[in-house]
Amino acid sequence: MKRAYKTTLIASLLPLVLAGCTGGTGVSSGTAQVAESSTVAQAEAGTTELTSTGAAAASTVAATTETLQMAATEQAATTLTIIARGGSHVDVINAVKDKFEQENNVTIEVLGLESDELKQKISLDAANANGSYDLAMADDPWMPEFAEAGIFRDLTEMGYEADSDFVQQSLDIGRNPYGSGDIYALPFSGNVQFFFYNKELLSSLQAEVPTDWAAVLDLAKAAKAAGTVGYVIRGQQGNPVVSDYLPILWSFGGAVFDDNWNVTVDSEAGKASLNFYLELLANGANYEKNDIVSAVSDGSAAMSLGWPSWYISDQGATAAYAVIPGKADADSTEYASGMIGNWMMGVTANSQQPELALKFLEYVTSAEAQKAGAEVGGVPTRSSVLSDPELLARYPYFQTLLDGTRNSMVRPRTTHWSEIETAYGTELSNAVAGTKSVDAALADAKTAIEKIMQ
Amino acid sequence: MRNIKRHLSTAIFNCLLLIWTLFPVYWLLSLAVRSQGELIGHLRLWPERFSLEHFTALLADGQFSRTIVNSMKVTLLSTGFSLALGLGCAYILARLQFRFALRGPLLVWSFLVRVLPPIAFAMPLYMLMNRAGLLSSLVPLTLTHILMNLPFIIWFMIAFFQRFPLELEESARMDGASEWRCFRSVVLPVTAPGIAAVGILSFMTSWNEYLYAVIFVQSPANFTIPLALATFNSEQELAKWGQLAAGGVISALPVVLFVCFAQRFLIQGLSGGAVKE
Amino acid sequence: MKQEKRATAFAYSMGLPALVVLVGLSVFPLLYILIYSFTDYTLLAREAPAWVGWANYTEILQDPYFQQALLNTIKFAFLAVLLETGLGLLMALQVIRMPSGQRLLRTLLLLPVLLPGVTVALTWQTMFSNNDGILNQLLAWFGLPAVNWLQDPGTAFYAILAIDAWQYAPFAFLLIYAALQTVPASQYEAAQLDGAGSWARFRYITLPNIQSAILLTALLRMIDSFRLFDKVNILTRGGPANTTATITQYIYQNGVRSLKIGYGGAASVLMTLLVLLLSLTYIRRMFPASGRGAGHRRRVKQGRAWRLLERDRQVRRETKP
Repeated sequence: MKRAYKTTLIASLLPLVLAGCTGGTGVSSGTAQVAESSTVAQAEAGTTELTSTGAAAASTVAATTETLQMAATEQAATTLTIIARGGSHVDVINAVKDKFEQENNVTIEVLGLESDELKQKISLDAANANGSYDLAMADDPWMPEFAEAGIFRDLTEMGYEADSDFVQQSLDIGRNPYGSGDIYALPFSGNVQFFFYNKELLSSLQAEVPTDWAAVLDLAKAAKAAGTVGYVIRGQQGNPVVSDYLPILWSFGGAVFDDNWNVTVDSEAGKASLNFYLELLANGANYEKNDIVSAVSDGSAAMSLGWPSWYISDQGATAAYAVIPGKADADSTEYASGMIGNWMMGVTANSQQPELALKFLEYVTSAEAQKAGAEVGGVPTRSSVLSDPELLARYPYFQTLLDGTRNSMVRPRTTHWSEIETAYGTELSNAVAGTKSVDAALADAKTAIEKIMQ
Repeated sequence: MRNIKRHLSTAIFNCLLLIWTLFPVYWLLSLAVRSQGELIGHLRLWPERFSLEHFTALLADGQFSRTIVNSMKVTLLSTGFSLALGLGCAYILARLQFRFALRGPLLVWSFLVRVLPPIAFAMPLYMLMNRAGLLSSLVPLTLTHILMNLPFIIWFMIAFFQRFPLELEESARMDGASEWRCFRSVVLPVTAPGIAAVGILSFMTSWNEYLYAVIFVQSPANFTIPLALATFNSEQELAKWGQLAAGGVISALPVVLFVCFAQRFLIQGLSGGAVKE
Repeated sequence: MKQEKRATAFAYSMGLPALVVLVGLSVFPLLYILIYSFTDYTLLAREAPAWVGWANYTEILQDPYFQQALLNTIKFAFLAVLLETGLGLLMALQVIRMPSGQRLLRTLLLLPVLLPGVTVALTWQTMFSNNDGILNQLLAWFGLPAVNWLQDPGTAFYAILAIDAWQYAPFAFLLIYAALQTVPASQYEAAQLDGAGSWARFRYITLPNIQSAILLTALLRMIDSFRLFDKVNILTRGGPANTTATITQYIYQNGVRSLKIGYGGAASVLMTLLVLLLSLTYIRRMFPASGRGAGHRRRVKQGRAWRLLERDRQVRRETKP
């Protein structure tokens, strides 16, 4: 039955498109000649028939599509489809879904993708009246874009009440407008950047965990003098270098935009922080993420920034996390500097079963599910889970995660962030590679970002 | 003396060529069999311990075996269809004595399709398939793989057919063979090496194709191997080298088998002959 | 008369299905890209797309990022084609000469091209790692300083090129090897009788016979190297300092990451035009506009090659002491 559908569809699709686009004349004369031919190869036997039945097929295609869509809806009544970022997020959903499936008599399907493709697929499907996905995950900088495009349903309108157990900074990301509006998505994974260091190396240098950047630099110099790599930057062009540099910019009191959306990347703080960043590089190295974790974990490098899911708890690993320093030196003002990068999850606006989807969303972000998810690499977003004594005994960095999230900073809430990140990342890479001076790179970044914001 | 020198330099050159080609392959294999603890960093030339943990981890979860079946379906169907459509087409394009009014458009169009970047093609094709309600199946993927491989087959095989002398065909026609018979029994056997080569390359292109796969697959039940592998690498998480490498090894096996099978056709046709020294 | 009619019918029955598939699947996307490339269409925007004329095109051409990507891509395509076709030709000539073991060697040499792209990129990433990767261990063994292969603006481009050459030289090898298999043995036998040396045999028999295959392989590799993307996206993201930015990656940044369909479409149209322009000479050569077929021309050419061989032999005889 299913097979018959497919065959009819292939057979009907081709002539339909052809007839629609090129006009029928060339085809029909061709068909006549084909029909005359006495030697018809196997390969074109199907196609010949296909061309002559084109008209009939074209008329049935609409009907077939309809049937298919009906079938899809029917099927969807018992299936919830989630489009998610592949990797540990999918593991978390799969680890906790059984209970919900049994209680509600549904099947949960998870489609795990790479992040850029995830965004593209969610956006493409948003145009359909009947969505293919009931729930979708979104990286936090996408939220303004998704909110503007109406991709997620308004959960507040659906009767969802804000749960104060979520860390406020995480919950705020799901609100539109940011921090004050209705809730459109809930924090699924509580990623926030950390200061990542090697315990043994620090104690061998008789140093405390630094709380300002001047101390970080001093320590990097000391580590370098001791023959190891001091501070490792993640200087890859694009997202990595931007994520790695922004906390330093913020600590120095700088920002990408001021309150009136004027571009301020080349402010005094901007220049000072980028110069400082290059000085860190001079006392360290520029690695890709896997190398950073490897180097800091085994003590061949002292410090870097990192994401929680990089945490390595293997024996012999001596890495630990702390909250990212928020001030330039001991005496300067302290700013929130840990970049937040939560993964959110929302109910799609074109889901055919929003109530059930919301129910699952509440379930998968519940304390119970987050606790179970932590076992397979999940990063909780609830205060109660992050300070759960049982979990803390096993994952001591959860306390840091909670503190870090409370002290975190969001990237500018603009629909153009992905373009800005590309442009900004290019110029930062120019500065790191030394092909442009700090001033020139930041001036060019400013011009490029201003052009994007027009 | 000069001869020995020449042989020696050829031998050295061949060794270098082999090392260059095979070292990364060795490295991939070695990543696949190193234990997770070792994969953290500072990888030495030889694995410290031999471990199959990545293979068992991959195959334990049924998902990966399902992706192999999906990849197999798409690849076999698309390669088969592309060859069936492309060979005959290339033949009549190469033989100018056939009266075929659409020769020019077909040539230009197939070239154009090959040149257009798939990255731009993917989105409108998605909309087309979406409208046709085909997205829940593997049909769109199979069709786009045909679209990708067909021009390649047509273009390469034209050159192959052109090189094949007309005499044999003409004598077959004199004997009263039909065009189809002549094509099937005279032309195809002689050009077998070319067909085997484009067959292998189409198979491998389709097997490893990612861009169209990611846009057309709507359900985990339809995942293909490249999609499954891509999720092992992400920005906020560490790359799973072991599973990536093990997945790569598993993924290569069917292609190697196909190459072994297709190789039998890679030898000379009727009038061919090997280069002799 | 009847036979001719049959031949024509045969031609249509062979040509039409392929044409139907090709045109049927590509007309809509092609028009879509073309039309939207003149608009400011962004997938997630609320407003309907507006007609902007040539604005996307002029903006792209003025974008320094695009200019850099364009230069990189052309340089990459040129070097990759040269390296891959050259290496592939060498491999093919070596393998076909082997008295035994050809089957095994062919399979081994083909391995790089059979592996999935993500795995290839990440395997090389571990080799290129500047935190004590295997290549830097090798350098250290020779007493050389470590290199940050993928992050140094002087090496990143060539690192990517090396991976591509490693992966696709086997592609060229296979196509050229297949062409070598169809060189008529009779030609070699005749030359052997005439006492032609190995260089002369290569120059006047092998080369003319596989010339079209080599050129076609080069053309196919050129088209594909314009699509260089997955390695760049995984390993360098166009950096450091844009040294590995490519046109396809530019299209990806705009069309996929930022969902600017119009802008990305315009960049795709520009890239397509560029590749068409670069391959124009080849197409002209292969399919001359005149009624006389390329097959005919080829035989004429081969005849010329034979005459050259004749002359070569004469010269040899004369210069023999």
